[in-house]
Amino acid sequence: MDAPYSKGDKMDPKKIDALIHYLLEGNSQKAVVSAKELHDEGISKEQIIIQGLEETMIQLGAKCTVEQFNLLEIMLAGRAVMEVMKYLYPEGTSPEETKGTVVIAALEGDVHDLGKNILKMVLTAKGYSVVDCGKDCTIQQLVDTAKEQSPFAIGISGLVTSIIPLVKQVREVLNSQGLDQIKIMAGGAALKQSLKEQLNVDFIADSAFDGVNYLEKIRGK
Amino acid sequence: MNSFERVVATVNFKKPDRIPVIAQVFGHAAALSGVPLDKYIQDGEILARCQLDALEKYEYDAVFTVVDVNIETEALGSILDYRKNQYAVIKKYALLDDYDIDHLKMPDCEKSGRMPEVLKALKILKKTLKDDVLIVGCVLGPLTLTTQLLGLEKALYLAIDEPEKFEKLLDFSCNVLTNFGLAQISAGAHLPIVFDPSASPAVVPHNFFREFEAPRLKKLFHSFKTGGAIANWLHIAGPSDTILPYYPEIGVDIANFDYCVNSQVAMSALPETCLDGNIKPLAFVENNESDIISASKQLLNMFSKRGGFILSSGCEIPPESRPETIAAMVQAVRL
Repeated sequence: MDAPYSKGDKMDPKKIDALIHYLLEGNSQKAVVSAKELHDEGISKEQIIIQGLEETMIQLGAKCTVEQFNLLEIMLAGRAVMEVMKYLYPEGTSPEETKGTVVIAALEGDVHDLGKNILKMVLTAKGYSVVDCGKDCTIQQLVDTAKEQSPFAIGISGLVTSIIPLVKQVREVLNSQGLDQIKIMAGGAALKQSLKEQLNVDFIADSAFDGVNYLEKIRGK
Repeated sequence: MNSFERVVATVNFKKPDRIPVIAQVFGHAAALSGVPLDKYIQDGEILARCQLDALEKYEYDAVFTVVDVNIETEALGSILDYRKNQYAVIKKYALLDDYDIDHLKMPDCEKSGRMPEVLKALKILKKTLKDDVLIVGCVLGPLTLTTQLLGLEKALYLAIDEPEKFEKLLDFSCNVLTNFGLAQISAGAHLPIVFDPSASPAVVPHNFFREFEAPRLKKLFHSFKTGGAIANWLHIAGPSDTILPYYPEIGVDIANFDYCVNSQVAMSALPETCLDGNIKPLAFVENNESDIISASKQLLNMFSKRGGFILSSGCEIPPESRPETIAAMVQAVRL
């Protein structure tokens, strides 16, 4: 069994660079082949995530500044990352240790889920466990999931302004269930026009990377 | 000058009697008239009546038959979910199971889905307003229709994985939109605005826009001009800075710019193109009237020497907006 997040695996820098290159390029097939080669050489799955997938997200995050942010590039890299994750952890298995759990959703009335899916890919690549409540999710479903999964944060993505009244309620409903400690992060074209005080959330993210940086900060990672 | 003449003068960089103000009031017109949004988006007569009521209340310079972003995809076979007092959403995409477009039939604008309702609304508006007020129809951009046929993620992956199939679908979409836009002009629209949210640089890189979308938009706009459109109006929300320089080549006469685009940047990129924008849409919900007047004055001052400017929001004014804030923007051009 792989040691979770063990340091010191001897990794050929050229091979990890190749993995990062293919991930950034969005070349799923070659990224999986690279990950397999590394794993066959005895590199732990966790080190492949830390030095390969996480590093890819750091580089992509730096590249996709708010001014140059485009979803397509992130989608392609994200798809390759998810393919590598599927290879490392076939269905039914999951990493033994993660940086924590995040529950994500697009609330009832919002059927746009690309932003949420991007966040899921970036969080997964950064070593978090992500529970996806999907789109058109009721507050009750979201809170029930939070009670079951004990996340340290909830991410709400919103493309339509009509969901704002719902977003404002989430804090209160969580608190009424004794879930005061869970941080709420909002993002998406509609929600990022507002202020965190208006939405009654802890943070408004400009992009998926901005959101992940906030989560890393509050987790002290 | 009447509203129509005012807009035409502005688009041509001639001096209007005052700066035109066009609130992007779509679903808000239903809320204002106390009509459920789901009724508004399905009935051309209701749509026209609500638009006329909103025009009478606010006295701005244009009316719209913008319904939602699903008219064309519904006419091509996507199944929608009509929810109480909400915009319709796609329940099943027309190309859910395969990407084969050969079985897609060109819609009949007089019969397919809600297209006839849009045409009905335009006929009523034209009969009532004639050439006194700008009457704006709407079609999607080819990329946005393509993403509405497949789903955004699938469509973008198709563009990378199978570009030939993707381009075939884009061309088909372009033909659908050409027919629908021309039908709207015949029904009374002075122009169909082209809504292309999926072409935003927030979604695709600017070189993707240049290679895939710009040539098709150019073709679409050329057809509209030939068909009698008084101008070509392109609406791409989000941080459009990097694609604005392509607009003149595409044939854009009016360029919408969103709240996140710096006005100076837009002016520098498009010195000879009329610009409309760019008050933050959510400000009409969350801010007060003095904030809106202040934001409006700032824009009016910035464009006072240049001309070629229509005061507007950066994108749709949310249906739940406070009427006082919209009235404040309209008032700003008369102060």
